Amino acid sequence: MPIWLELFVLMLVAYAAGLAIGWAIWGGGTVEKDANG
Amino acid sequence: MAELVQENWLLLVLALLVGVVVAWWVFVASRRTRVEIAPRDEDTPAQRNQALIDATPAAAKVAATPAPVAPAGGDDLGRIKGLGPKLVEQLRGLGVTTFAQIAAWDDAEIDRIDAGLGRFQGRIRRDDWPAQAALLAAGETAGYEARFGKL
Repeated sequence: MPIWLELFVLMLVAYAAGLAIGWAIWGGGTVEKDANG
Repeated sequence: MAELVQENWLLLVLALLVGVVVAWWVFVASRRTRVEIAPRDEDTPAQRNQALIDATPAAAKVAATPAPVAPAGGDDLGRIKGLGPKLVEQLRGLGVTTFAQIAAWDDAEIDRIDAGLGRFQGRIRRDDWPAQAALLAAGETAGYEARFGKL
């Protein structure tokens, strides 16, 4: 595997990890509800 | 692999941050629109239901308020900003063909029409179609351009 491909895959994994962190923090698929909702 | 990570940790951290920012944008920033319902403590659910039962049927309301009669052919509704060819067709299907009709819409009528606009919902109020239509119907080009920009 060429080194640039390894690096690309690593960056992709890091990006996906970032998405997962964001999803864990702000929650995917849930609509925010306020007190009246 | 470990060496690669060590050598390029900054790039990887950047990629991670980009991922977090994208997630934030998807889950938070693009969902800023919230529907806020004012609390109405005086209305118990039973009262609301009774009000619905007592209310005249929607069909009767529509029939009771006939839209202004359109002149033959109608106006070029596409001159209203925010109203494209697709929406013109949709409105035509709803019997709306003149500026006067749009100018005469009240809040209830706007809600009714808006509900049928699909992915264009909210445009009527966002672009203030009734005000635009009123100016266009009156032929006040100067007033229109002062408020909504060049025709």
